[in-house]
Amino acid sequence: YRDLHTFELHAPTRLIEWARGNRVCVAGYGQSGGNEILQLIPPPMLLTKETQGLCPERDFKVECGGFSERPVYSLKYVPDTSLLVTSGPPDSSLQVWQVSTEDSDVIKSVSTIATENGTGQSWAKIATISAGAPRVLHGSRLDRVQITEVESRKNVYTAACRGSEELSDLAFLDCNTLLLCCATGRLCLADIRQPQSLVEATSVPSAPCSEQWCMGTRHGAQGLEPSSQPVARLSSRGLLTLTDLRKTSEFLALAKARVPSPGSGAEFLCISWAPALEGYLAISGFDGTVHVYDTQSWDSSGREAEPIFVHKGHAFGGAGGSRDPPLVTVHMWHLQKPRTLLSAASDGSLHVWDWVQPCGKC
Amino acid sequence: GAGQDVGRSCILVSIAGKNVMLDCGMHMGYNDDRRFPDFSYITQNGRLTDFLDCVIISHFHLDHCGALPYFSEMVGYDGPIYMTHPTKAICPILLEDYRKITVDKKGETNFFTSQMIKDCMKKVVAVHLHQTVQVDEELEIKAYYAGHVLGAAMFQIKVGCESVVYTGDYNMTPDRHLGAAWIDKCRPDLLISESTYATTIRDSKRCRERDFLKKVHETVERGGKVLIPVFALGRAQELCILLETFWERMNLKAPIYFSTGLTEKANHYYKLFITWTNQKIRKTFVQRNMFEFKHIKAFDRAFADNPGPMVVFATPGMLHAGQSLQIFRKWAGNEKNMVIMPGYCVQGTVGHKILSGQRKLEMEGRQILEVKMQVEYMSFSAHADAKGIMQLIRQAEPRNVLLVHGEAKKMEFLKQKIEQEFHVSCFMPANGETTTILTNPCIPVDISLGLLKRETAIGPVPDAKKPKLMHGTLLMKDNSFRLVCPEQALKELGLAEHQLRFTCRVHIQDPRKEHETGLRVYNHLKGGIWDGYPASQIIPKKKKKTLNLDYLVQHLPDGSITVESILIQATAHSEDQGTKVLLVSWTYQDEELGSYLTSLLKKGLPQSTP
Repeated sequence: YRDLHTFELHAPTRLIEWARGNRVCVAGYGQSGGNEILQLIPPPMLLTKETQGLCPERDFKVECGGFSERPVYSLKYVPDTSLLVTSGPPDSSLQVWQVSTEDSDVIKSVSTIATENGTGQSWAKIATISAGAPRVLHGSRLDRVQITEVESRKNVYTAACRGSEELSDLAFLDCNTLLLCCATGRLCLADIRQPQSLVEATSVPSAPCSEQWCMGTRHGAQGLEPSSQPVARLSSRGLLTLTDLRKTSEFLALAKARVPSPGSGAEFLCISWAPALEGYLAISGFDGTVHVYDTQSWDSSGREAEPIFVHKGHAFGGAGGSRDPPLVTVHMWHLQKPRTLLSAASDGSLHVWDWVQPCGKC
Repeated sequence: GAGQDVGRSCILVSIAGKNVMLDCGMHMGYNDDRRFPDFSYITQNGRLTDFLDCVIISHFHLDHCGALPYFSEMVGYDGPIYMTHPTKAICPILLEDYRKITVDKKGETNFFTSQMIKDCMKKVVAVHLHQTVQVDEELEIKAYYAGHVLGAAMFQIKVGCESVVYTGDYNMTPDRHLGAAWIDKCRPDLLISESTYATTIRDSKRCRERDFLKKVHETVERGGKVLIPVFALGRAQELCILLETFWERMNLKAPIYFSTGLTEKANHYYKLFITWTNQKIRKTFVQRNMFEFKHIKAFDRAFADNPGPMVVFATPGMLHAGQSLQIFRKWAGNEKNMVIMPGYCVQGTVGHKILSGQRKLEMEGRQILEVKMQVEYMSFSAHADAKGIMQLIRQAEPRNVLLVHGEAKKMEFLKQKIEQEFHVSCFMPANGETTTILTNPCIPVDISLGLLKRETAIGPVPDAKKPKLMHGTLLMKDNSFRLVCPEQALKELGLAEHQLRFTCRVHIQDPRKEHETGLRVYNHLKGGIWDGYPASQIIPKKKKKTLNLDYLVQHLPDGSITVESILIQATAHSEDQGTKVLLVSWTYQDEELGSYLTSLLKKGLPQSTP
């Protein structure tokens, strides 16, 4: 480690989102109500390039907070507005909130975007964009994907997908292109200008049907064609696939992560690309660790990959002994500092860590 | 400054006619009168001694007691000042130290003198933890352990059944030498809590300690010297224990020194106030003195010139004078050395200057000192965060919460959080604002023995767990409240008792003679028409639950019928032979039964009765 800072949130979170002004947002996912959405100001040491040791300001500050009766499973800020959208069980509707730090420090609930609730629907996955009007892409199942305007709550697009598979992730590749990832691993590309068409990407290697998948897309890279960035997929068995969206018929790379088996389920599977380090990605959700990989050494053989770094901090936190070891619920890369990550676990811990590059690279 | 908000704590509470001042702090950032609280708020005219019933000081930090000598000696207050024993012992030391900087170093004139500090402390009454202290007949106070620093306490102020708890600064997590704050379920009407760190999610103590040890270790490894300026008491002990454990674990050889005089004084106070430290220390203290360290030795001035690495704890804490400044001057020029500032430094001190980034300092005699040594700052202050505040509220169960903080920050979110979780009202006034809290006081009332005996003789046996409704007259005379039976009240007031009797006329169609009508009524009432009418209401004065109708309804020789005290007489109608008039008469006390009978008779008599 170059640096490691541990914090304890009042309640565990399963999301970490960056907001305007270098703010970080976390939210509780308890089933019995009283969940808090917290927008935090990170300590200055996280924002500076130089790592300071005994800097006086080492704490996160709660800038504002809101109360949610529902567990908050997903949260996305709506760009260019002071709104954010959340989703969570028991249904696939979305809640819209307003953050206004000038008048008060309470995040107020403003509206709900209702969706038709069919049977077997779980919570909606969401992605936001501000193209013309602020919009949110959401859906819990492949055949229920839609784009809704946040302010007017008007539906502007419904994907013509067939199949009732549960979605594990979705994203805007640009203002017209959507990427959908099903829990089965199936990847679909859609163009909202051509509602009827749908492009399938490669499936994943055939596997026991209980295996679940999630995806990670690279965002933030300026000037590059969004579809030129490889999409990574991670399975609950530890399989990793990289796919180039321009050549969806084959895998760019295939690897296997060393994860404990049997897996502890796919609830918190998380994979993400490093915004400032080419080819690096991180995975978590199997146990109390976060793995960082350099994918540039991967090929299509599917053999086991060696992580560049493993963050084990959460496994050693808090109450040991009889309690179940904490599970990492989410991780997130720092947007500017190349080797800094934030990770949260089911025991309420929040870590900020920076690893040292092993010799050879820089 | 260094990210810390050091305000001047001073709160005035008016409870049940008593006025209590909580803390009397000084603002360290100002050099003029703004550093003291504005005492004109208390009372525009009249003496403070007459207006205030007492003053309570929570702990020895200057932002809580710094203005006390000014207040008591320069503004003028001669009433009692309450604080815990350790606070009373340590306060004057810090006040004197601060006075020295302000007057001697900065040349201020409008400041309290050493004699004033002494005179002020003479007015202090020291209290023990959990000891109820009667300030006067009605006002009592009790101190609770607050953690934070040695001797810090939270105070409960009680007048009759109304109470307020003031927390001062407190800490809900124990550290190496102090325990965590604790209070019982005292259910005060109001809990006043500090909330400076309420919106903070703190870096874990382990990380801070790890970084501190890392810095010290790195410096010592490269042969440098580490200077840690400290106050005699407080975080110094915490850091000593930390370093000692680390040195032991890592088998380090570099010497650690503690200023002479400091060790003895600290040891003396900790031995004196051992009950104020945490469990672990108390346990081990019996076997060996926790504050006699294996690796930490007493310092001698000459050691500062020794070659090689070392760590020195020296007073005073802001590098403003004395030994720590001397050592600093010797070591400042070497970049291998390090100075770690342990806390807030007052403006004007060397500590403050180097923390602000100054690297060239002007010393006495116009000498310029170049600071090449590393300057670090650390904050190990022990305050409660939002989680801690919630914990304390959960422990004490107040009816209302008031949060005090220096900045006029909006903490709507915390307010809602408290209100939602505990269903209490939460207030956060700005400085200078007055908040009014409504309470439901219980007023004790004496009940006369006669009334008590009479009321318990009626109705079912009184149940200790259930409230019992009684009827009496409340007499309020001078300052006493008495509940007596009405007759006695009338007697005492010299008023004659009047009886009210109501008579109602019920017309019945019956051509027969009056006494026959009367008999009809009697038989009708004797038959079971009392269904649905609770026995206890019919015969409130009888204990029996069942009705004995023979006893209840009586036919008197003169033809009238009585139902308890209610009299029914049948009389002839003056004009109409076929109508009889029943006169139903009852006293005011039997209104209920009287009304019931009247409405019953209005329904008419059954034809079948003879």
